[in-house]
Amino acid sequence: MAEPRLFQLSMSPHVTSPLNTRRVMLDVVTALLPALAGAIWFFGFVDSLLPVLVSVVTAVAAEYFCLRIMKRPVNAALDGSAIVTGLLLAYNLPPGVPWWLPVIGSGFAIVVAKQAFGGLGHNMINPALLGRAFLMASFPVLMTSGWQAPFEWSAPESHFETSGIPVENLQAIPDADAISGATPLRVMKDSFTMERHRGNAVRAQLASEGTYLNLFLGRRGGCIGETSGLLLLLGAIYLVVRGVLELRLPLSYLGSVALFGWIIGGPGLLQGDPLFSVLAGGVILGGFFMVTDMVTTPVTPWGKILFGFLAGFITIVIRRWGGYPEGCSYSILIMNLATPLLDRFTRPRILGEVGKHA
Amino acid sequence: MSRWKDLTNGFYTENPIFRITLGMCPFLALSTSVQNAVGMGSAATFVLIWSNVAISALRNFIPDKIRIPCYIVFIATFVSLVDMVMAAFMPPLHKALGIYIPLIVVNCIILGRAEAFANKNTVMSSFLDGIGMGVGFTLAMLLMASIREILGNGTWYGINILGHAYTSQPVLLAILPPGAFILMGFVLGVFAIIDRRKERAA
Repeated sequence: MAEPRLFQLSMSPHVTSPLNTRRVMLDVVTALLPALAGAIWFFGFVDSLLPVLVSVVTAVAAEYFCLRIMKRPVNAALDGSAIVTGLLLAYNLPPGVPWWLPVIGSGFAIVVAKQAFGGLGHNMINPALLGRAFLMASFPVLMTSGWQAPFEWSAPESHFETSGIPVENLQAIPDADAISGATPLRVMKDSFTMERHRGNAVRAQLASEGTYLNLFLGRRGGCIGETSGLLLLLGAIYLVVRGVLELRLPLSYLGSVALFGWIIGGPGLLQGDPLFSVLAGGVILGGFFMVTDMVTTPVTPWGKILFGFLAGFITIVIRRWGGYPEGCSYSILIMNLATPLLDRFTRPRILGEVGKHA
Repeated sequence: MSRWKDLTNGFYTENPIFRITLGMCPFLALSTSVQNAVGMGSAATFVLIWSNVAISALRNFIPDKIRIPCYIVFIATFVSLVDMVMAAFMPPLHKALGIYIPLIVVNCIILGRAEAFANKNTVMSSFLDGIGMGVGFTLAMLLMASIREILGNGTWYGINILGHAYTSQPVLLAILPPGAFILMGFVLGVFAIIDRRKERAA
């Protein structure tokens, strides 16, 4: 039996971590699955699962061909990052889009936003969100209309409003037909241009407990994967337990959305509704799965907090005064571009380094 | 032989857009349709040829210290000519090109050729260089505009070539400003690949 050596001589790095790309990505995919199940439950197989599958397959295939053309190791296409991109892109599409829309969006996300910049770890902006921005600019009609009211398979006859307002509360709003078929944030945005008493009635219903519950459970119109806050939170908790998700980014982002939603999100100063701001739109999906993209967001603790804070501010500004009802994706894209700057400004002092005025 | 080289230099080897990457502003902004590309290309070519000739003819009389203002005066003269002629005879095109016609005055290709070529060469060489650079610019505009118009509108020179199914739902981004930058990146990439192949073969 050989005597154990006192010193193990080896090159650095000496500290290794069980976390690797594939494990992290598979955890993220797992965490996204409850929302997919919810989408199938609310919108049916054809309208939700089909775009998701098409998007994921396209993303992986595009990644494979890009790596092939660039003569890089092709097994990197199977590290799971393309699957996550494909999933997140599809989660940002309205249910029931034509099959070629996720193909184009997913292909663009991988080829232009990711591989053209050098592949995983080198892309400046979140590929899935850039793919969505590309689709928004190219096919605005397909991307912003045709919102489906969700149904539940146990009781197909039961009916929900796309706005998330409980059906029995609709009579409190004068001329309620005019707001049917619109997402909660669209209704909120329209309420600012309605006559005063109607706008107030609409906002009172949007800020009611019944609406909060519907929004949280996913009984509302919206993109495939963004509707159910509950199922997204389940995924997020799984990620936290697995040690993949660090809570600084999501909490500062969601907190900032709530804060600015309260301060400037309403008709006047301090008249907004913080809870509605967080529950409506894609903020929960964005906050837990897109703001937290490791490649395109800051690595320093204060950088992360600033990133979330500013992104939340931009989200609310776009919601209140921008051209679109939801600003989540654009706010994250804008902040992605500011990431190197944030990292530089918030660089922590190295242990032992002496400050300028010390 | 060298005359021939003066003429063909701008076509490919020193193509103002894809090689020297000058004049990006009108190139990116106006390559939205082939019609615009033809209009902008011919206007710029006209100015390029005659400013080259004028500057080269007077190169020995222009004091060195104030040469740039002198170039601008020549160029502005020809641009005003183009502007007025276009406004009089082609009002729709004039309207489509808008501010970019007066902006030819500060076009980097024209100033660049004046400073780098016409200033040092004979009138005949400068004339040929003007033609070559102008044609090179127009060809680049045509290439980019063809890609963008076909992708973003389904048409080429206003003729529907991809069918109604496509034109009702085109990739709008291609004719929007970000599309210009993205496609420019891809075209430059293709040129880089062609060059590398050539180098390897040589």
